[in-house]
Amino acid sequence: MIISLNWLKKYIELGESTAELEKLLTFAGIEVEAVKELPALPKSVISAKVVSAVAVPKTDHLQQCLVDIGEYDYPEKNEAGYVQVICGAPNCHAGMMAIIALPGSELPGYTIGKAKIRGVESHGMLCSEKELGISDNHAGIIELPYETAIGISVNDLYDLPDTIFELEITPNRPDLLGYLGIARDLSAKLSRPLIMPDTKIEDEYFAKQDLALKLVINDTEKCPRYTARLFVDVQTGQSPLWMKTALIKSGLRPISNLVDITNFVMLEYGHPLHAFDYARLRSLPGDTVPAIVVRRAEDNETFTALDGKTYTLDSEDLVIGDGESPSALAGVMGSEQSGINPETCMVVLESAAFHPGSIRRTSYKLKLSTDSSYRFERHLSDHATDAASLRAAKLISELANGKLCPKVHDNWPNPSQPQVLGIRPSRYKQVIGYELNDNAIMDYLKKLGLKFIQYGCWIPGKITDVAKLYCHHAEEMKQGKTEFTELPDCVHTQYYEIPPYRIDLEREIDLIEELARLDGYDKVPVKTIPRQVMDRHAYRIKKVAAEYIVSRGFFETLNYSFSDSALMLKLGYAEKDPKLDMLRLKNPQSSNQSAMRTSLVPQLLQNLVYNLNHGEKNIKLFELGKTYHKAEGLSYEPYHLAAALCGRIQNEHWQHKAAMINASYPKGVVEELLDLLGLREYTCQPASEPFLQTAESSQYLFQGKQLAYYGKLRADIAQTFGIDTLELKQDIWILEMHLEDIIEATRHLQRVFNELSRFPSVVRDISFLIADSIGWQDIHQEILSLNPDLICELSPFDEYRGKQVPSGYRSLSLHLKIQDKEKTLTDERVDQLVELVIKTLQDKWQITMR
Amino acid sequence: MQEQLKELVKQAETDIQACVTANDLMNAKAQYLGKKSVLNGLFARMKELSPEERPAFGNMINQSRTQIEALLEIRSKQVKEQAWMNNSNASSYDLSMPGIESSRGGFHPLTIVRREIDEVFLSMGFEIAEGPDIDDDFHNFDALNTPADHPSRNLADTFYLENGGLLRTQTSTVQIRTMERYAPPIRIISPGRCYRNDKPDPSHSPVFHQVEALVVDKGISLGDLTDTLQQFASIMFGKKVGSRIRPHFFPFTEPSAEMDISCVVCGGSGCRVCKNSGWLEMGGAGMVDPNVFDILGIDSELYTGFAFGLGIERIAMLKYNIPDMRILFENDLKMLRQFKGELR
Repeated sequence: MIISLNWLKKYIELGESTAELEKLLTFAGIEVEAVKELPALPKSVISAKVVSAVAVPKTDHLQQCLVDIGEYDYPEKNEAGYVQVICGAPNCHAGMMAIIALPGSELPGYTIGKAKIRGVESHGMLCSEKELGISDNHAGIIELPYETAIGISVNDLYDLPDTIFELEITPNRPDLLGYLGIARDLSAKLSRPLIMPDTKIEDEYFAKQDLALKLVINDTEKCPRYTARLFVDVQTGQSPLWMKTALIKSGLRPISNLVDITNFVMLEYGHPLHAFDYARLRSLPGDTVPAIVVRRAEDNETFTALDGKTYTLDSEDLVIGDGESPSALAGVMGSEQSGINPETCMVVLESAAFHPGSIRRTSYKLKLSTDSSYRFERHLSDHATDAASLRAAKLISELANGKLCPKVHDNWPNPSQPQVLGIRPSRYKQVIGYELNDNAIMDYLKKLGLKFIQYGCWIPGKITDVAKLYCHHAEEMKQGKTEFTELPDCVHTQYYEIPPYRIDLEREIDLIEELARLDGYDKVPVKTIPRQVMDRHAYRIKKVAAEYIVSRGFFETLNYSFSDSALMLKLGYAEKDPKLDMLRLKNPQSSNQSAMRTSLVPQLLQNLVYNLNHGEKNIKLFELGKTYHKAEGLSYEPYHLAAALCGRIQNEHWQHKAAMINASYPKGVVEELLDLLGLREYTCQPASEPFLQTAESSQYLFQGKQLAYYGKLRADIAQTFGIDTLELKQDIWILEMHLEDIIEATRHLQRVFNELSRFPSVVRDISFLIADSIGWQDIHQEILSLNPDLICELSPFDEYRGKQVPSGYRSLSLHLKIQDKEKTLTDERVDQLVELVIKTLQDKWQITMR
Repeated sequence: MQEQLKELVKQAETDIQACVTANDLMNAKAQYLGKKSVLNGLFARMKELSPEERPAFGNMINQSRTQIEALLEIRSKQVKEQAWMNNSNASSYDLSMPGIESSRGGFHPLTIVRREIDEVFLSMGFEIAEGPDIDDDFHNFDALNTPADHPSRNLADTFYLENGGLLRTQTSTVQIRTMERYAPPIRIISPGRCYRNDKPDPSHSPVFHQVEALVVDKGISLGDLTDTLQQFASIMFGKKVGSRIRPHFFPFTEPSAEMDISCVVCGGSGCRVCKNSGWLEMGGAGMVDPNVFDILGIDSELYTGFAFGLGIERIAMLKYNIPDMRILFENDLKMLRQFKGELR
């Protein structure tokens, strides 16, 4: 629904700014989709008369016009006192009243200047509606009524400035599809009176005689009411400018005074009307009285609508016919044949109610949606027909000089019964969370048009008999009391009759919603729910890490938090190492439990020994727990995950022999876990843990901090824990992750999707001999840096030492995956790249290709 | 030539039927339909015929071609189906031999129980809060309304550190820390390690694990406590398990209670585990003492709350019928392996 603020102000006083109104509407539950300001235009934009218009030579559409601007002071008028303007609009013609923007006028978006077009001077511009910003219509220039005076400001003509609101009306509120409905809501919200339009018809506008009409409704379910008013002496023509302006601003095109009036009242009351030419109504067979028959269409009956298209109907479609053929598709569209035309002087004004489902069905089936069907399919009340009809009658009398026939044909066999609803103030508090007193509730609901019936006790369900509502509250009210006695079996309730246009109000909860909406959701006291105190990120990291390590075959251990510096010395830490600066207990149970542990490793080694001594061979143990360190305050207690392992990679299987664990295994665990937790940007270097064999250990650093390490336990350290690795014939491996630091390093990590390449990739393999001293990390980096855009993956698939490979060398075989994000790779480019890789390696490390 | 064609199709049929592999079929196809095939040769010889005869003969060649193609297709389908059959019958596996598994490890039973408790309470809208193991007198005793001369403060009961700290004797310290940082409403559980100066024996350990729950809001009553306890018991031990609270004393709750659940072993009829009482002690509980709120600056008129504590070791031992608490800290793989399949 597109509404003009100036028009809306005819029904309610509004002094609010646009922003305030926008907020007001939004919080009344009417969503504002767009706001368009129509600014006041300069004084130099005025009505003017086109005195002459002649084609500019050698152009197909330009006309050279002389324009009379009356008394308006413009220095460059010609001798005759006219202004010369070039105009390209197809409807520009001599004698018309138009709007001119004289040079210097600032219009929305641009400034009008003096110009020379095809060698002819043009002093300004004749404007279209679009150029003035009042609509998108750019089909031609504005043609004002002939009687318009010259020199009138466009602001007066078009009621500027104005503000246009585009409102989203929810389907449950058809009453808001009219200005009055919106004004009524605002009236309740703002507690201001609603100003109803004038519907009083002066005596002189009543016809002396009635016109005969036979009104028949064949299907009262699909059409519960049909109200027809008849007019004589109607003068068809143009609408006055104010009405055209109003329609244009609400997005409708003015057509003629009668059609405009029905549209205007539809926008005002939200109830569509239709006007027929009485003279074209034919009688029923064997009768002479012109007839209107509301009936179901015949199957395959055809109907040619105003849009010029012919529709095939079926017996579920409702038509308004005369005695012979359909004059309108009920509630959707009229026909050319029966419509208002320049010769019309007798008019039948239809105001009817239709079954919403029926209109929706027809509109959907025929793919024909109109302003009328849009409203009817949302359910318009049968009670609403007369008021809209009367208002249109008033306008027809005023603007088309129509004389209203005294007899109103109102066929309304079964008026719908008004709904009665109760609302308990106590229930309002229960649902919305704060109290709204009796008077406030009543004020709001009365402003919405609800009729207060009486106080009573709460009766659940539909109220069918108002008399039953009577209770002591009503008596007390009669006595003028405002406080009511609460009896145990009587919950204080207000009862209302719901106005028919509010089809959406069906239950108490609907009234509660109305009240909350009008009193403002912002008044609802916030009820706090329990605080979020959990560190979900830390919880998740710990969980993922533990689950991963278990999936790799590790069993979880739990050890006491106690340790002892002697254990740390056994691990090879120096006396002065911070790990020996432990938090000591005042009252330990034993000397080897005299301090808080600073590492999980010693106890894990003890667990490993325990299990080795109990006949286990393939052991993978981990602990996820706290270590305790001296710190400001009392302590720092970071979580760690450490693991000790030995034996085979996997359980032995009769088909697949499992290899013994070597450095690749803990390395894979550490690196996959880091990857899983989102850490990829780390550096890797030999670990410095004193109990690890440097040559077979690595640590992972992120921003200079150690996040993880793995390595082979030194044989001498193993010995101090009672493990003879020579006798055991296997190595012990240790790995550790600093979970607390990983939690912080990953707290704000954001995964970003990489655009997929749509072009195929190519894999090339290369094998070469290279000195042992050159590590994979360097080789990897060197190759990748040659063309990071093309080389998308580089992975070793074989390493060989032995026969045919000189000692101090190894043979490496790599997969090189190459892909271009922009285009398909040619063999030539791939070859070039592979050659470049080989050459670079040869130059740098003297590799031998195999 | 027409006779030759007929003969050719006949021969093709025999040869194609004799094919047993996809390769045979490829050869047969080349032989009969390929560039150097007889059929192709006949095409070349068409010019020997009179123009009138040509269309009819052309048709015949094409028909033969179609026939041979059809024969090839039928046979190729048969060959494929035979290969599938052979493949599915080829297996001579002894399916009772062990399959290939991933050698997955497993969680410690205490972790399994702790995580199950986490899940129960998370699903009831609780948050998990953690705090330091090493805490101070204020959070462990004073704020919990424990009198200065209370026996639990003794060196014989509580571990103290040389730096003046102590090892928390319950995770109520986390409740205090949470209430210091956050205004009510609060709804947390605090799982973690606790320490008491007990010698390890079948039912004691100097290091043990606890989960405490704390709820602070307007209108919280003892009824909220009993319902939370009952829901916890039902999820943890099964729908049939009942619960009760009975009066007790703790400095930080008023009224205080001990929580029992009906014996999970005998179902309440009495057995060795429940010492014939039909009930198992779960832990302490109660309504937060207003003094605790006052110490923390929470309006004790406006807010009420309940708290309770559960021993994880005890629950694990009950749940898995573990007779001695010390077993839980031996970390014997034979014990650990038993719980491999426990955590879903």
